[in-house]
Amino acid sequence: MTSRAEHSGKAPVGQPVLRCQGLQKVFQTHRRDPGMRGLLRSFVARETIEVPALRGIDLSIEAGEFVGLIGANGAGKTTLVKVLTGIVPATQGRSELFGEPSFELSDAAKSRLSIVMGQRSQLWWDLAPLDSFLLLREIYRVEKSDFDLRLEQLARRLAVTEQLRIPLRHLSLGQRMRMEILGAFLHRPQLVFLDEPTIGLDLVSREEIRTILSEINREQGATIVLSSHDMEDIENTCRRLLILSEGRLLYDGDLVKLRERLFEKRAIELHLEPHAAEPDPAVLAELCGADVQLLRSSAGALSFAVPAARVQPFLAQVFARLAVRDLAIERTPLDVLVRELFQREGEG
Amino acid sequence: MAVHPQVALLLQATLYELKKVTAWRMGFFVREIARALLRPLLTIFMFQAVFAAQGATELGGRDLDGTVRYLIAVAWIEGLIFHDRMLDLAEQIFQGYVTKYLVMPMRCFTLALARYVQFSITQTGVAALLGIGGALLLPGVWPLPVAPEALLAALVLALAGSYCFLLLYFLLNSIAFWLEVVWTLLVMTRFVTMFLAGVMLPLSWMPEPLARALEYGFPYWSIAGPAEILLGERPVSDVWTGLAVIGVSITVLEPLRRVVWKRGLARYGGSGM
Ligand SMILES: Nc1ncnc2c1ncn2[C@@H]1O[C@H](COP(=O)(O)OP(=O)(O)O)[C@@H](O)[C@H]1O
Ligand SMILES: [Mg+2]
Repeated sequence: MTSRAEHSGKAPVGQPVLRCQGLQKVFQTHRRDPGMRGLLRSFVARETIEVPALRGIDLSIEAGEFVGLIGANGAGKTTLVKVLTGIVPATQGRSELFGEPSFELSDAAKSRLSIVMGQRSQLWWDLAPLDSFLLLREIYRVEKSDFDLRLEQLARRLAVTEQLRIPLRHLSLGQRMRMEILGAFLHRPQLVFLDEPTIGLDLVSREEIRTILSEINREQGATIVLSSHDMEDIENTCRRLLILSEGRLLYDGDLVKLRERLFEKRAIELHLEPHAAEPDPAVLAELCGADVQLLRSSAGALSFAVPAARVQPFLAQVFARLAVRDLAIERTPLDVLVRELFQREGEG
Repeated sequence: MAVHPQVALLLQATLYELKKVTAWRMGFFVREIARALLRPLLTIFMFQAVFAAQGATELGGRDLDGTVRYLIAVAWIEGLIFHDRMLDLAEQIFQGYVTKYLVMPMRCFTLALARYVQFSITQTGVAALLGIGGALLLPGVWPLPVAPEALLAALVLALAGSYCFLLLYFLLNSIAFWLEVVWTLLVMTRFVTMFLAGVMLPLSWMPEPLARALEYGFPYWSIAGPAEILLGERPVSDVWTGLAVIGVSITVLEPLRRVVWKRGLARYGGSGM
């Protein structure tokens, strides 16, 4: 029998809590064309297709780290979390948590683990969060006194004390996510995966959640892996950054260093007047100097990557040449980052 | 305070299941009480019609009153039998909700077991109310147990048989890892097992060899068998035969359920996340 959650949430710092090597995951799925013909055809000969979601991931995370996992939609973030936590088996390669194979975790290892899925509630929909937490207390075998203390602290910090007794389905999205986070940290896990926990939340809630995660990581030494498709979630919280693209790790390293090298870019999206003439290719060429890139151009919309220091002159130039109706400036856009990384890979 | 942790979890989970079913009081009464009343009433009307149409005074060894008593007893006991709609596991597998349990230090089956315990507690309560109410309101029609031992034997058989149904439905739900036809399978299974259990037709109306064969199945010993013991048509000592049949069924179903679940997990994609 395992100890009744006597561990403090701290694993010895400097030892890997997670390790994987050559990790691959291929999903099998079926293709079906729309309509009656597709239905009939799939009935006679179903076409199985393979979707490679992870194409060889090597990774090692040490106790106490706060790791950001970033990637566009479909990059494989959720799949990576699912394989690492043993929810689904890997197709190939090895994955270990706390020294045990991910897909065969013992109950002792599982009680040191926690996961928050932005897309799927871990709590029971029909119950008040408090009821769910009491059930979790039983599942993770947390001592009552410890549980009460922890619940009180976390609820206060997450500002959800008032909502503990209201059925989960009556809470707002932001409150629900806070409850999910509360539930995930109740048993003082040593390793916590959060898969897009801020998806769909407003800016203030996102900021608050990031702050709380940082605090918990610092104070309790819990290892945290936070995934997001939004660079902003990662930028101010994580020390280490993983960039996933099409099932491959494109970057694994220090966030600050990467930022120094690459982050000083802005994505500028322009919407042109609807009835204006198509922009002259010569004008576009003129706008794109050595340091400005045209990322996308579609009917009436253009998107550029511009060095932060060049934004002002660039905009002046744009307004002089194009009939702009609307514009948006985004910091550290993910696709710019990924593109740059790919380019460097190609050059080096 | 040396409660085994799995038992403590089971108790806590059962408590929640009880909380859930009683959360909507109106719903609870409509579902549990009305359903329990409706079935026997409909059955009585149906068999009155059958007897009238046949002009018969006796069918399969029972007169009309005897048949009505038997059918009420069967419906009464059936209320104790774990229902396929009590498990939403297949749905959880499809929607990806099941994933949360996979990272928790517990067995998924414990929660299903909690449902069974909750169901057994609630339904035993409902059946007791129904039995008392029926005996008071429909004297002469309502089946009275021939002896307290007969009542106890029927209850034990029904609850043990109900556990077989839990295992069977858990197993069928796990097929959701492979196929999308689980609901059809469940409905078919329910239909077939209720036939085998003598719910849709008294066994005595069936051809002799078939009826004999059915007496080796747990469905029979979950419902019709206990009803016959209750009414004194079988000696109370037959409870041991019934428990033996149910015991064998459990030893077959339990490992099967585990294997199917384990195999299912190995091919789980965790979709919907
Ligand atoms: N259960 C599944 N069956 C088939 N394909 C899947 C399944 N889960 C994910 N995929 C595919 O794997 C790829 C990676 O998905 P996912 O890990 O969810 O990406 P992300 O979380 O980064 O948005 C996508 O192409 C997705 O369509
Ligand atoms: Mg995802």
